[in-house]
Amino acid sequence: MPKIKKKGQAGAAKNYITRTQAVKKLQLSLPDFRKLCIWKGIYPREPRNKKKVSKSATASTTFYYTKDIQYLLHEPLLQKFRDQKVLEKKISRALGRGDVSDAARFERHAARPEATGKPRYTLNHVIRERYPTFNDALRDLDDCLSMLFLFANLPSTSAVPAKMIARCERLCLEFQHYLIVSHSLRKSFLSIKGIYYQANIQGEDILWLVPYKFNQRIVGDVDFRIMGTFVEFYMTLLGFVNYRLYSSIGLKYPPKFDQLKDENGAELGAFSLEGVNMATQGETKAVTNGEEQEQGPDPKVQAEVDKIIKQLKEDESKSDETAEEDAEADDEEKPTDSIDKFEPVAPGGDVLPQPAYSSRDPSQLFANFTFYLSRETPRQPLEFILRAFGCKRIGWDSVLGEGAFTNDESDPSITHHIIDRPVVQAATNEDGDGEDNQTAQKVGPNQRYPGRIYVQPQWVWDCVNDEELKSPELYAPGAALPPHLSPFVKAAPGQYDPALPLEAQQTEAEAIEADLEDAEKGNAEDGSDVENDMDVDEAEDDEEEEEGDEEAEEEDAEEDEEESKTLQRQLELEAELQGKKVQNKKVDSKTKAKLEQRKAIEKKAREEAEDLERAKGMLSKKKRKLFEQMQYTNNKKSAQDEKLRAKRRKLEKEKAQKA
Amino acid sequence: MPVLKPLSGNPEAPKQYNQPSRKGKKAWRKNVDVTEVEQGLDELNAQIIKGGVIAEKASEELFAIDVKPDTEIAKKLPKQLKKPLKADEILAQRSAVPAVSLKKRPASETSGKVTDGVLPSKRLRATYVTQKELSRLKRVADGHHTTTVEVVDATFDAWADPEEEQRKKQQAAETFNFLPKVEKPKAPKTLTQQPISLAATGKQLPAVPKPKGDKSYNPAFTDYSERYQEELRKAEEAERKRLEELEKERLKAEAAAKSRAEAEAAEKRAELSEWEDDSAWEGAESDAEGLANKKKRPERKTQAQRNKIKRRKAEEQRLKHEAAIKKREAEAARVKQIAKELAEKERQLALQKAESNNAEDDDASVEEDDDVELRRRQLGKFKLPEKDLELVLPDELQDSLRLLKPEGNLLKDRYRNMLLRGKVEARRHIPFKKQAKTKVTEKWTFKDFNLA
Repeated sequence: MPKIKKKGQAGAAKNYITRTQAVKKLQLSLPDFRKLCIWKGIYPREPRNKKKVSKSATASTTFYYTKDIQYLLHEPLLQKFRDQKVLEKKISRALGRGDVSDAARFERHAARPEATGKPRYTLNHVIRERYPTFNDALRDLDDCLSMLFLFANLPSTSAVPAKMIARCERLCLEFQHYLIVSHSLRKSFLSIKGIYYQANIQGEDILWLVPYKFNQRIVGDVDFRIMGTFVEFYMTLLGFVNYRLYSSIGLKYPPKFDQLKDENGAELGAFSLEGVNMATQGETKAVTNGEEQEQGPDPKVQAEVDKIIKQLKEDESKSDETAEEDAEADDEEKPTDSIDKFEPVAPGGDVLPQPAYSSRDPSQLFANFTFYLSRETPRQPLEFILRAFGCKRIGWDSVLGEGAFTNDESDPSITHHIIDRPVVQAATNEDGDGEDNQTAQKVGPNQRYPGRIYVQPQWVWDCVNDEELKSPELYAPGAALPPHLSPFVKAAPGQYDPALPLEAQQTEAEAIEADLEDAEKGNAEDGSDVENDMDVDEAEDDEEEEEGDEEAEEEDAEEDEEESKTLQRQLELEAELQGKKVQNKKVDSKTKAKLEQRKAIEKKAREEAEDLERAKGMLSKKKRKLFEQMQYTNNKKSAQDEKLRAKRRKLEKEKAQKA
Repeated sequence: MPVLKPLSGNPEAPKQYNQPSRKGKKAWRKNVDVTEVEQGLDELNAQIIKGGVIAEKASEELFAIDVKPDTEIAKKLPKQLKKPLKADEILAQRSAVPAVSLKKRPASETSGKVTDGVLPSKRLRATYVTQKELSRLKRVADGHHTTTVEVVDATFDAWADPEEEQRKKQQAAETFNFLPKVEKPKAPKTLTQQPISLAATGKQLPAVPKPKGDKSYNPAFTDYSERYQEELRKAEEAERKRLEELEKERLKAEAAAKSRAEAEAAEKRAELSEWEDDSAWEGAESDAEGLANKKKRPERKTQAQRNKIKRRKAEEQRLKHEAAIKKREAEAARVKQIAKELAEKERQLALQKAESNNAEDDDASVEEDDDVELRRRQLGKFKLPEKDLELVLPDELQDSLRLLKPEGNLLKDRYRNMLLRGKVEARRHIPFKKQAKTKVTEKWTFKDFNLA
């Protein structure tokens, strides 16, 4: 006889532990237990059978793995929590006795670790435990960044202390600086919730959401204690991630932070990045917006060093240029498929619309431009994105804070002006405007500086997402903007994609169909002229066709012939009814080829369908049904896409006719 | 004539020990006789003032052996020794302990600190604790302490080459091989398991779902209209459900009212018709009606009555059985239909599965949005909060970024996402503490009277 097993000694009853049991085992208070679980990454679990686990009559709701909790017993943080608990007890006892001053003293001493010798704790060791490799940390950065950017934009309350907010903001700005320097921002999307950003760091795609400024309502049904615990953990994490990222590109962490500038709203401009070994490099990379660096070790030495570096750089760029020129010369010699580039003649001149695909580095998309942000535009995201894509000089209205390249709207070096206000319907003489602008400091509501491109903010986002400069006319102030599409949605093959040109997405059959239609229309317009010639042609063609078809596919040929015959007859009948002369179907050689192509495609499709039928026969009934359903939905979808494409074709045609 | 006193010991006559009873805590504290201690302390103080504790002094300081006479003293002294006044004597006394210096000094706490020059307001009591501080202390005592995590700038690379560290450790282990090895606790495998996702599919959800085109501030028409239609459909469905619920409730209430009315009517009728012919149970009831106040023993049933009950019960049983058989037969007739339904359901499931597989293959994880279908079993005691409707209505749709009115609440969104991914369990916010229920009663003081 086997040994009789007692109930509750093995299996689920041993593997799981209820929350109350866990709290008792660790001798913690419930809030502290929650904190510890969040930091150590211990999540609630679910046993298959709850009744088998808990012995109590009342249903326990939360369970943990016993082993996890057992492991928590080794956690050094536990001691800190217990110390805190002891302190709480001391204080509450003193308060209960009425010794308020004693209570205050206890608290004071605990808050001053230098007096008590008990340091406050950090979460440094937890970071390494939770994320054994740096890539693990990067993978969890989505949540971290979204959380910190959100908290950086919250108003301070008792639940969210101002210190925490400031810290979050700082960490976020530091991270943005890394993205700017390393050009690792890839995409961005303006949604109704906030602004999405996607960056690629060491091969990991990181996506996070940043709220719009001044929009955060604090609602009651969010547990700030839990959120705060997460934020504390994530602040530590992002600190380490920043350190690693900065050191990976040879920068010193933390970067220099100018309190005064920050108070004046400089944001990104409040930081100045430094290389790790200042002595050898003697160079401070700062987001200076083209200004001179104010502080430095010694102005004289600095100037000399700068000179040398400048020379070196110039040499480099020269060599690059020469290399490019050589390359260009090569290009000229042998014709290639690459598209010509239109370079502005003078630096800072008009940006010419670039051809569709450019081989330029997308990270230097805005490198040659000087932007000016009008005061109604969101400065923070624009500044960040423009800088991340290579822009060096950004000016803005002084309302938007410090750190601008220029606050002067009339600065002649500005090439792009981002504006988001409606066009005022005031009659102004266009010719007069240009002259006025030259002299007047302030411009009127609708007046523009000449030689500068005015665009709405969406232009920046669309350029970034498509990795090319979009034509600015579409985004001119007052123009109806093209839809802002999500860069994260990849259109499935065959699906209608409004961003692509029609040629790139239509199926072969559709294209041919469209061409044929065009041809027919053309025929209807000027059919009679060529009628006679075509008669002969068609006869010949028919003969040829028959000869070719005879060997390979007799059936098809017969069918086709029948079809054409019936078609012909119908045409004749129609013509008779209308009292016209019989018009032979006019087929020039091009159309002919198209027709043949169509036939081939149709035939191919038919064959494929047959194959499918045959394959379907092999499937089990269940699978066949499944397959049929899938096919049905796919067909429905593709029919919809086709319809959409046809609509667009029609629109385009109309447009072409108008033009 | 001066009384000679012994140098030590109590000069007084021995007397009864006058310590009163120390029974009870208060008496213990109050009635301790401390005069002896106080006297001793006073004496000590006096000695210190006069130039130090006598017991601690060396005997050379206290005593001198005078060997030869001092002749000059007689010359110094006036002829007639004048005794000074007692009052002068007292006033001329000087303590050996130096006086406390009255020079003003900065307080020790503020020493070395640069202040803003504004003097702090003086408090009468240095240990005074303000009400604000007190309430904060109370909160701390309740466990609501402010953050204790020290936030410092990262000063080292947390992911620095682990091999290097390992090598160092190994070296240390080799050099100190005589020491017993310290076994580190091993993390259990369960620690690395993913949290329980609340999605119906059980798949892990992304922290930040990739936004689709319809979330754009300036969406393409097709995207927007699709989303709009879907939301519309959902809202309609919800409204329909709500109305159905209402209707159900109404019907229920109506039925209840009706049955109540019927019962009342029956009661009335029963009251009227006492004479009615009655079956076994009704008889008992109606009998009881007549003698409402009197508790009556149930009467013994006759055999005829028993038989009648038996027959009735058997009839009831038979009817029940027949109904059950009828139902089963009906179901058997419907078996084909049920099988069909089941098959359909299965097919749908398989289809979903296949589609999700396809989605995985295509790496189009865009489908995973925040409003995924939730699993049926919730994780904690409380339900997951509803997701906000993030949709700009058609008349509010703007094509300018400046005019955009953001939708949704990111804070709530983040919190919900956390719950959705099973990182924490849902909690309910309790805005107010539960108060003890008070019951108002009237004192019947009018009953407290005395017969004089």
